[in-house]
Amino acid sequence: MTPREILSSPEPSRKAELVIKLSEFEIPPTQDILLVGRKAPIGPEAARRMVDAVSPEQYEIISLDHEIFEAIVVKKSLLTLLPKDKLLPVVIEEGNRIADANMVIKAQVNISVQVSRTVDL
Amino acid sequence: MPTVEDLLSTALYTIEPWASVRRAGAVMEYHGIGSLAVIDEEGKLVGIITSRDIKGSHPNRLVADAMSRQVITINPSASLWEAHHLMVTHNLERLVVMEGQQVIGIITGTKVMAELGKYVDSLTNLHKAEILYERAVQLLTKGCEISVIFLDLDDFGRLNKQYGHVHGDHILVRTAQILKGLTVEGRDTLCRYGGDEFAVLTPQSLAAAEGLAREMVKAVQGEKWSLPIHITLSAGIAGGRRVDGMDTVRDLKELAEKLVNQASLASTTAKRLKVPVMVANTDRLPERRPPTGVEG
Repeated sequence: MTPREILSSPEPSRKAELVIKLSEFEIPPTQDILLVGRKAPIGPEAARRMVDAVSPEQYEIISLDHEIFEAIVVKKSLLTLLPKDKLLPVVIEEGNRIADANMVIKAQVNISVQVSRTVDL
Repeated sequence: MPTVEDLLSTALYTIEPWASVRRAGAVMEYHGIGSLAVIDEEGKLVGIITSRDIKGSHPNRLVADAMSRQVITINPSASLWEAHHLMVTHNLERLVVMEGQQVIGIITGTKVMAELGKYVDSLTNLHKAEILYERAVQLLTKGCEISVIFLDLDDFGRLNKQYGHVHGDHILVRTAQILKGLTVEGRDTLCRYGGDEFAVLTPQSLAAAEGLAREMVKAVQGEKWSLPIHITLSAGIAGGRRVDGMDTVRDLKELAEKLVNQASLASTTAKRLKVPVMVANTDRLPERRPPTGVEG
């Protein structure tokens, strides 16, 4: 291509494609459980302020003696379905598999209680 | 000897618990300091954040999430020994100084050690006399009975002249080691009073102190020296306790000085009478000791 031909080429066309995803912002963003890593950008006090500000008295913050996690923020209503000593070890164990101390892990927990009872006829 | 208050700098830098770790770090860097007291909205001390805490925390964290909540505090009138003891016990580099409910400063281990170092004799590593007086006042304040043993090497000037000061220094160092080996850490305070004189403060009775003095004299006398010499000590002992009306530190310091002086005079008397141990204000003359000084 000669220099003259280059100069005469048309400008490339530019297009923008806009993709918008709209979804509801959930308050608080914590949802059910947060596992707070020991070196995470937010610590237990920051988490407490966050949940207290947007959902007062709905969350409990429990300090942990754990290698990776410093604290766990848990929705109190979950604890009415399942006692702390049953729920937390499972969540911590699973969080431990995927997280490191720099992370804050959000966990969505659905608890369904199955009951089967027999009655005398 | 200065107190904790005397080592405090005038400026006190604090930070609120809801500030970021990044900000705490910037404040420390700006002022060239290694820690900040964390004070809440009500002016209450809630923690301390140090440069070490900052290094180990994400800069976005709240100070409340990075600080140490276990704050060991000390009174400004406390002695540097108390400060040192607290730091060692709790493995801390800093103590928050509080007067009542108000934070007035932070004292660092480096500063405390630098100051305490001035009261350690560089040759023998024993305390200097100031420490003995300070401990004496502490014990008297608590109402304890104290005894002072004053120990003086016999003919040391002659030994120095005959064998030289290098050997003289060696004798002093070894004597200090022997005496230290016979004292009980945390109970007795042994110091190099000056030159060839040593002193021991003990919260024991005069009789027990006399027993300790005899052990010390015997141990030094029994030491095998590299030079053809016998080294002996003359010991004087005095004892006492606080009496009614002695309320000020000055009174108690005067009492301590009086006891040291009596013990010192008793050791001079012991030397003159050629007895190893002499108790002040008594006419007991213990047994004579074997000839001392330079051999052959």
